[in-house]
Amino acid sequence: MPLLTLFKDARYFQIIFQSIFLSYGILFLHWRNESWLYATYFTTSLVVQFVCAYFLGKKNIPFLQRLKNGIPSVLISSFGLSLLLKTNYWWVAVFAAAVSILSKYIIRINGKHIFNPSALGIVAAIFLTGNAWISPGQWGSGAVIMFGVLSLGFIVTTKVQKLDVSLAFLGTFAGLIFLRQVIYLGWPMDHFIQSVSTGSLLLFSFFMITDPKTIPDHTAARVVWCMAIAAVAFYLTAFKFMNGAPIIVLVLAQPLVPILDKFFKARKFEWSKPKAYTPEEKNFLQVVYSRSIM
Amino acid sequence: MKKRLLIIGAFIAISPVLFSFCGFYVSKADGTLKNKTSQVILVRDGNRSVITMYNDFKGDTKDFAMVVPVPVVLRKDDIKVVDQSIFQRLNDYSAPRLVEYWDQNPCNNYEMMKEDMSMAPSANVDKALAGKVAGARSSVKIEAQYLVGEYDILILSAKESSGLKNWLNEHGYKIPADAEEVLDPYIKSNLKFFVVKVNEKEKKKLNSNFLRPIQISFNSPKFMLPIRLGMANADGDQDLIVYAFTRRGRIESTNYRNADIVSNRNIPLFVQKNFGAFYGNLFTNQWDKEGKSVAFLEYAWNVTPVNPMKCDPCVGNPPTEQDLVQSGVWWLGGKDWNDYSDVDNDEPDNGSKNVHFTRLHFRYNRKSFPQDLMFQVTPNTLNYQARYIITHPATGDFNCAAGKKYLQDLRQRRKKELQELTALTGTNINNWQDEATATNDEETNVTAQYATLLPQVKDEMENKANVPVGILLFGAAMLGGAGLMRWKGII
Repeated sequence: MPLLTLFKDARYFQIIFQSIFLSYGILFLHWRNESWLYATYFTTSLVVQFVCAYFLGKKNIPFLQRLKNGIPSVLISSFGLSLLLKTNYWWVAVFAAAVSILSKYIIRINGKHIFNPSALGIVAAIFLTGNAWISPGQWGSGAVIMFGVLSLGFIVTTKVQKLDVSLAFLGTFAGLIFLRQVIYLGWPMDHFIQSVSTGSLLLFSFFMITDPKTIPDHTAARVVWCMAIAAVAFYLTAFKFMNGAPIIVLVLAQPLVPILDKFFKARKFEWSKPKAYTPEEKNFLQVVYSRSIM
Repeated sequence: MKKRLLIIGAFIAISPVLFSFCGFYVSKADGTLKNKTSQVILVRDGNRSVITMYNDFKGDTKDFAMVVPVPVVLRKDDIKVVDQSIFQRLNDYSAPRLVEYWDQNPCNNYEMMKEDMSMAPSANVDKALAGKVAGARSSVKIEAQYLVGEYDILILSAKESSGLKNWLNEHGYKIPADAEEVLDPYIKSNLKFFVVKVNEKEKKKLNSNFLRPIQISFNSPKFMLPIRLGMANADGDQDLIVYAFTRRGRIESTNYRNADIVSNRNIPLFVQKNFGAFYGNLFTNQWDKEGKSVAFLEYAWNVTPVNPMKCDPCVGNPPTEQDLVQSGVWWLGGKDWNDYSDVDNDEPDNGSKNVHFTRLHFRYNRKSFPQDLMFQVTPNTLNYQARYIITHPATGDFNCAAGKKYLQDLRQRRKKELQELTALTGTNINNWQDEATATNDEETNVTAQYATLLPQVKDEMENKANVPVGILLFGAAMLGGAGLMRWKGII
């Protein structure tokens, strides 16, 4: 039970899994040389968060509380950048991390930020600096399958986060690839498996598109929205040979979320649903998680 | 002179790695190109690709034939033959290298070191990329037909694979039995087939035994190399060296993992005698360790003709502007590539004359490489080279204090070199007994000879309890997790 309390907030689950992936990369895939890059992402994000929480946070919550509440999502964005975005320049890393965190505070509609922080940081760094890139081939495919099964299994058994978003995206994307490669083109099965067992796709499906603050609140709208992203990303990947298409499409699709929210009314997402807890727990959670921002 | 000596002495005293002031190239990994090695030059900028395929076909040229899937119907101007020596030059220049350093006797005065430039170029045995096939059906359409150099070239499009297979077989192109599994997806992906045979008449005019490499260029967003067709008629593992030139930076594989081949390691002096075999062992060992489905980076450098520093040290002459142009780097030189009728280049020609050279080494087989090789150009401009270091010990008397210290350091260093050798190549230390004994080590102090040190290293390695870094880090992570839970008041 105590352990489950930790996982009531899906963000801790995300942090633990992302750190496992990063450790795997550092230990087994020789990403050691890039330690400076990870350090830059984390340091910049934390500093920007500190500054933003101080100047831009909601004033009715004490500063220290605001800072503390924001830390988990800062770690998640930093892990997201570390796992996906490559660059040789420290200033590009600083730029990406700063854009990620700043976007949460500056680009907001109806009290929700619009863009997934790390996705926006990645896209901005790639297209605005021209000195950053995504390496879809940085993972061994064997490990990726193991990670996928592990993440999925964990989510299902602990119900830590909703699976509708991940499954709608992954199902549509992988399904379309399967239809094209195996059914239409006639490649053997291992050709298809090689396509979908990239670490970037897995991270995107389980840890990026799932960010509940930047997806439509209404269930049906959310699922359709994810499937549409998957379909466009598939088109760009299969026919335009674009790398990292899902992330780019996600960033382009996120401004639609406020519009969808307007047409499909639903309760706004809160990180922890109060009704699931006893009054004491509710009290506890309100103290800990009452946050202004994500 | 005196001053320099002192500085050198200081270095030796503080550092276990012995320094000296010059390094010379001695040898390149000639033996590293296995019998089944294909070589391809890839040039890419925007949507334009130039692919040059090495041809080492040996035998009756009547039997030669080649089928390459290409994304578009090529025009005659898009097909050229180039001088095959370009491959030798690129390989010599970018191959893994051995560098040689000399220690100085800390008790002596110094004369400059002699250099040993025993470049022994030896022939590489390579193999052309595509499936070897020797050259009608209604579903097959001949899109174009050209005579280029000594080659008769057809560009085919097909509606279904059995038709294509029959057409090829009827025209004497012996297609391997299981090629159909690959032909079908290629046809449906709308690829065309670039089919090559030797024109005997033209061949005779050339008066040469060699078939020259064919270079094709086209515009397509697809940046890939079709390897699956070649796998259909090859058994076992095939090596492929890709020499890539771009304007922006390194290329990397997008559907297989990229890894740098281990580099900058100090290895024993006796490896010099057989560096090719050493690198062959090293590559096989690393390939196994990294899980086989890997693109190994062996070299990456900015080779822009005006850029003076192109390697450290160079094992061959850097490619000249002419070499680069011949490799297909169209943005150099006055080549007229204005006829871009079918271009939708998303990156406009920015006038930059930069050229980045990437050398990738694949060893593929059907199981580890289910897909063709897909690439991307990255803005990564970091230099990289596969480089291994040997160091000649100082000779003479070591009766001064610094000399004694030197001998002690030398023993330590050589022990490390022996351990490195076995770790890199994945071989047992006993396998190196003969080389260690046979090495011309007589001038070295007897306590520091490899033959003396090898049994000691063997003992040490057997007794050493190895605590992997992984376990330590895992322990740290668990502690961190526990700390987090404690902080949250869970435990």
